[in-house]
Amino acid sequence: MAKAKSKAQAKPKLALYWAASCGGCEISFVELGLRLIQASELVDIVFWPCIMDFKYGDVEAMKDGEITATFFNGAIRNSEGEHIAKLLRAKSQVLIAFGSCSHTGGIPGLANFYDKASIFERVYDTAPSVDEDSRGTYPKVETTVPEGVIEIPEFYDHVKTLAQTVDVDYFMPGCPPVVEQIWAVLQVLLAGQLPDQGAVIGADAKTNCDVCPREKGGSGQRVSEWKRPHEVELDPNKCFLTQGVICCGPATRAGCGLPCISGNMPCRGCYGPPDGVIDQGAKLMSAIGALVDTDEPEKLQEILDTIVDPAGLGYRFGLANSVLSELKYK
Amino acid sequence: MSHTPHTEGPETFADRVRAIPGGEHLEMCYSCGTCVSKCMIQQKVEPEYNPRRLLRMVMMDMQDEAFASPTTWLCSECDLCYPACPQEIHISGVIGAVKQLAVEAGYESPLEAVTVDEDKCSGCGICVMVCPYEAPHLIEKEVDGEMDTFSEVDADKCMGCGTCVAACPLGAVARPGVGNADIVKQIEVKRQPKGVPRLVTFVCDWCLRADDDVSLLESYPDNVRVIHIPCTGRIDPEMALMALRSGIDGVLVCGCAPGECHYKRGNYVSSCKISLLNTMLGQMNVGDGRVRFVQIGTQDRGRIRNEVDGMLRHLSMPQHLVAYKEAV
Repeated sequence: MAKAKSKAQAKPKLALYWAASCGGCEISFVELGLRLIQASELVDIVFWPCIMDFKYGDVEAMKDGEITATFFNGAIRNSEGEHIAKLLRAKSQVLIAFGSCSHTGGIPGLANFYDKASIFERVYDTAPSVDEDSRGTYPKVETTVPEGVIEIPEFYDHVKTLAQTVDVDYFMPGCPPVVEQIWAVLQVLLAGQLPDQGAVIGADAKTNCDVCPREKGGSGQRVSEWKRPHEVELDPNKCFLTQGVICCGPATRAGCGLPCISGNMPCRGCYGPPDGVIDQGAKLMSAIGALVDTDEPEKLQEILDTIVDPAGLGYRFGLANSVLSELKYK
Repeated sequence: MSHTPHTEGPETFADRVRAIPGGEHLEMCYSCGTCVSKCMIQQKVEPEYNPRRLLRMVMMDMQDEAFASPTTWLCSECDLCYPACPQEIHISGVIGAVKQLAVEAGYESPLEAVTVDEDKCSGCGICVMVCPYEAPHLIEKEVDGEMDTFSEVDADKCMGCGTCVAACPLGAVARPGVGNADIVKQIEVKRQPKGVPRLVTFVCDWCLRADDDVSLLESYPDNVRVIHIPCTGRIDPEMALMALRSGIDGVLVCGCAPGECHYKRGNYVSSCKISLLNTMLGQMNVGDGRVRFVQIGTQDRGRIRNEVDGMLRHLSMPQHLVAYKEAV
């Protein structure tokens, strides 16, 4: 990355985009507050449709590589997301998958448990909120009206991560990435000190347990019934696993600063797998399966049945990036 | 029947063994040797392994010989011998008492223990919770001026089952040559002609009692890859997914029958993990019996052939028949 050498030289150009996402990543950026003003003195924000009025044509008019860095949040759900991903890839020197959705699929990626047909059927036909008169009216990519043909983006069969769509230089996890990490990454970016391509930035290498202050489990402490957080009064000082509540912390990269765990809620895994782990859900289940109490082996299945929705739990933010998705869509 | 504790004279080796919980039944042994006939270690690993002889050594005050005996160190408390003992002696308890004294006397286990890579360890304590032998524990240590938590393994307690290695989310606990990456490297099955299914079979070192069962596995053609693991507790669902991702059609995991695990609970751990994995594959509509866990008892000679052949048949079945079979 070129460092701004003199005031006369153009400032680095920054772009931010949202594809299939909730907008939380944008809010996290805005949470920089006054620091955002500080940042805007150092960089030019050339594209940020969520916050300011930019058009796709503005980006299309740019030269390839004109944008210094793009923070791309959101998964790729439809043809619009794919189009902009490709466009921003071409126009950016550095493309950062920003936030869980773009990094590992995030919450939109949970749609990969279903397919386009079943999602459409639910959303446009069987859902109780659908107006009776319009039941079964499905969106079409092209619709002819008296004035001509109008288009909407094509909804894809399944959700993809940004890296499954275009080449990504860096991954910044989190739902959303926490504001301190954003500020830290901006410093690194502006100083031209980004690590090797492909690295996860704005996070640690180890897991949340490394920084979690809770009292960990002792020898032979295992679980004979898994409970959901609302079913038990949780001790704020003890490891969730020792209280029979599944916490994704052991299979989740640290870096968030533990907002959930400090709020006495188990980690949900949004920072994705740590270094060396390929499949976050399988890895979590490798630990959870070993923690099941085996004093009464005939009860194993009964105990496992208390784990409601293991895939939703292990891949809450990572289904689109999982080996399960690879097996389904290969 | 009650044993007769020594009340006079100097304390003997046997007295000290008896004083440790588990060692108190020592006297009841009349050296029938039924325990030896049940023992898988004696049959598969170490012909010199002999609980009957160890108990005699204790009673005859042969302390140094007892401490140096492989029997003292190799017993994994599987307790296959316990139901067979006509005197109902908890033999692993007595051996455990001898081992405790041996450790106190400065003897070291000949088994290679797992070690912890502190660069990777997060101090989550999962290895501590899952170990059947209470070998790992957490320690506080100063790193760069700050206190950090790490796992540390008591080498004398580690039996090498690998349950902790598979449960560790960061691959921080391992033994040279048996880390996750080492096993994943072995997951490789040559491309086969159309219609020939590719199968990876993980087989624990203890569930096949008969030599002909072991050699049978070696006799399969190269579409069946056999990977030996110390215990099915060593299975990590990620390994199975890596196999499927590489285009292998199925994964078969063979472990000991309920109650017969050489490492106490590895087969239960594995059964839980494979069950969870299958639930997840099912949630994603890709679970069609491609991952299977079978438990082979010490009396099930010849069953491994049925299991492998059955799996191969299942994998060569067309998808619509698989769906039909699962529906009925």
